[in-house]
Order: sequence, then structure tokens, then C-alpha cells
Amino acid sequence: MKTAYIMQKEIKESILTPKGFLWYNLTSVILSVLSYLFLTNSELSLLDQGEMLYMIMNFITALGVLIGLVFGADSFAGEIERGTIEALFLSPANKTEITMGKLGAALTNWGIIFIISLPYLFVVGKGGQNLLTGIAYLAILGTLLVITFSAFSMGLSARIKSMKNSLIISFFIFLLAGSPIFLSAAQRKTWFGNILDLINPFADAINTFDSVVIDSQGFSYQIGRVAIICGYTFLSLWFLKRSASRLEM
Amino acid sequence: MIISVENLVKKYNGYTALDGLNFTVEDGDIFGFLGPNGAGKTTTIRILTAMIKADSGNVLVDGHDVVKEPLAVKRIINALPESNGYYEWMTAYEYLEFFSNLYEEKASKQDIHKLLEVVGLHGKEGHLIRSYSRGMKQRLGIARALINRPKLLFLDEPTNGLDPKGRRDIHDLLIDLNQKHSTTIFLSTHLLDDVERLCNRIAIINYGKIVRTGELDRIKGKGTIEDIFFMSTKEGAL
Repeated sequence: MKTAYIMQKEIKESILTPKGFLWYNLTSVILSVLSYLFLTNSELSLLDQGEMLYMIMNFITALGVLIGLVFGADSFAGEIERGTIEALFLSPANKTEITMGKLGAALTNWGIIFIISLPYLFVVGKGGQNLLTGIAYLAILGTLLVITFSAFSMGLSARIKSMKNSLIISFFIFLLAGSPIFLSAAQRKTWFGNILDLINPFADAINTFDSVVIDSQGFSYQIGRVAIICGYTFLSLWFLKRSASRLEM
Repeated sequence: MIISVENLVKKYNGYTALDGLNFTVEDGDIFGFLGPNGAGKTTTIRILTAMIKADSGNVLVDGHDVVKEPLAVKRIINALPESNGYYEWMTAYEYLEFFSNLYEEKASKQDIHKLLEVVGLHGKEGHLIRSYSRGMKQRLGIARALINRPKLLFLDEPTNGLDPKGRRDIHDLLIDLNQKHSTTIFLSTHLLDDVERLCNRIAIINYGKIVRTGELDRIKGKGTIEDIFFMSTKEGAL
């Protein structure tokens, strides 16, 4: 129950504020522009529905991960810098309850972004193959990735105790994680691209989207990549638990 | 005895912040914990409130070991840290309600309004905390520290930065709490006026060691608290 109250506080603080609304409006605007371009631009509109769906799914996942990292970086370090965490630690809520409340709020954030993106996914992917399967994979893998990156960023925030440094490292991690998007198809086939693809949970997610939406491959083809993402999720949660339990003033 | 501290040691990266602290606090005391900046006052409070762990030593709060039973300790104590921050986007009422919800026994609406009245914030409960003055925030902090009706209240420099009227109001509030509600108060300060006005027993800490402890009147004798403080905290006075 204490977790629920802390989560409610976090949601009010981070989501139901002008800052929160800015993120969501920005999400809507960018998705609107992307969808409009996909449907009207003469070159982009030559892509089949599956390709368009795949591209917009990548973007939504990247946005969810980015916002999760930003909110995670603020979670502990922000409270320490604002001097509010001591009162929270003085309450009978233990560190696990506080951490779960904060992580729950990060997930709520992803939930809102996912709901905002649904109409765009339906418009862009309408008439194409694997639309619903793609959305289901986005919901599951997106959630796992947001947990992974938010938990990592929160753990970092608890260890470093500096919002600025947590943010810088989180952005660096985001750039590394998002590198498959920034690399061209040729670069991704080099040894560097292959290594990144292998160890990067974000790359595993987008390769899964590719396989499911464009190549129409079944779950048996995805098991390896999904398992790697799950592994990263557990690793991040472990890191968060360890960092939060060691957090001292 | 509500607090018993034995041989408390805390080190930070080789620096000894607390070096074998020993003292006791009795039920119903307003206990003044004095010392210059960096003497170890805040570290001691953080250990007594189960926020950080000591490297060695024993601390019992109302019979509970702070290391083995931190949640039992947190149920009967509360504190106002020196640099207490606030969720400035909340109203005073929302702030108190949020913290009340973290306890098993939640405060009712009336309890929260009564508490705001006790600290002199009646009529301001709907205002955003960011619009409060420093003194008002300090009162709200005290209200937050009283939300679970603690047996033992820790206050770290509660009158720092307040104007004379703000200080007087906080003094009156603490005396009232101690006399009417039998709340034991552990007051960490370096403002000697506060000690003179409020405390019946004191301990003076210097370089992480207790250099004097006992009843204020007995320690002072015919001198002043200022003389005792400077004598006890000058270089090498251990």
C-alpha cells in the first residue's frame, strides 16, 4: 500500500505537471508528423505497411526508453538534491517500497506513451500484415525495455546522487542503446554493428519487431532475443535493488 | 530511558565522524545536543533515526535496536532534518496527508487540520508550499514530524535562519509538545539561547566525542552555557 502512495506521489510530481504534459504533447506531435510523412510523402509512402509500422514501433520504443532514463535519473538524485528524501526515509516505508513506487511511476509513464501511440499505429499499419501481433510485441518488449533502462538509470541515480551526472551517463547509455537506429544498414553488418546487435537489448527488440512485422516469423524465432531482453531486465532490477539498499544520506 | 547510546563509531572514508559516543536520554527530556559545525551532530541523529548504520556500537531507542528493528524505531520517532526539503508543488494539507498515508495508523482529515492549527498554519492548508516563507515551511516540517504522534522527536537546528518571532513561536510549540503531550525532544543546535530556554539536559559533542553530558543547571553551575560550550569545544578539549 505504501508503494501505491509513493507511486501516486511520483505520478503527480512527474506526470501530471507541465513537464509531464510537455513530454506527451511532444510525443503526439512527433508521431503525428511521422505518420503524416509516411502516408503522404511520395518516397516514404512507397514503403509497405509493415515497414512503416516497424519504423514507428522503433521510434515509440526509443521514446519510451529515453523518457524512462530521464525520469530514472531524477528519481533518487533529484530527491537528494531537493532535500526531500530524508523525510521519506524517516517514514516506515522501506527502501524496496520507495523504489517500487518510483519504478511503478516510470512504467505508468510508458503506459501513457503506449496509449497515445495506439491510434498512430493503427493508422500507419492499417491494411498491412501483423498489425496486432506487432502491437502486442511492442507492449511486451517495450515494457521490458522501459523497466530495464529505468531501473538502470534509477540505480545509477541512487549510487551517483547527482542528477546532472546521472542524466549525462543515462544519455550516453541511450545513445549506445539506440545505436542501431543511428547506424546505416551497411554499418550494422560490420563487426561493430554485429557486436552491438548481440549485446544490446534495444537492438534485440527492434530485430524482433523486424522479424515479427516484416518477415512474419513466429515466436520460436524470437525466443533467443526475448530471453536476452528478459536477462537484461533481471540484471537491471538486481542493480537497482542493490543500489537502493545501499543508499545512505 | 528512551535513548541509550554505547560506544558509537562511524567513519567516512577513513575520517572518524563519531569516536565512541556514549550518552542516554530520559523519557520526557528536552535534550540539547550541542556542538560546533562538523562535530558529528547530524551523523548521530541519522544513526539514531535508523537512516544510516554505525560501524560499531549499540543504540537502543525505547528498547528497540536501531539496526535490528529500524521499522519499529521509525514508528515511534520522527525528525525534522536540518536541510529538510519540501514537495513544493503540494499544498500543506496534501503534504501531511501523503506522509500520514505511509504509517499504519493514518491521520484523519480532522487530525491533519488540528495539526496545522497547532503549528500556526490554520487557513493556509490549501496554499502551495512554494508560496510559504521559510518560517512557515519550518512549521510545516514540524507538523510533518508530528504526523505519527511520535514519542521521541529529533530536531536538527530547527530555528536556524528564523526571525526572532519565528524562533519564539517554535520554542513555545516545543515546550507545549513536551509538557502537554509528553513528547521527548532531542534538539541538535549550536544556538545557545535555544538550549538555555528549552533544555533540561544536554550533551556537548566535539570531534565526534561527548565532552560533557548531564543536567543543564548542574553543568552550568554559576557560569553561563556559553562559557561551558567554549571551554568544552576549544581545540583539544576532549
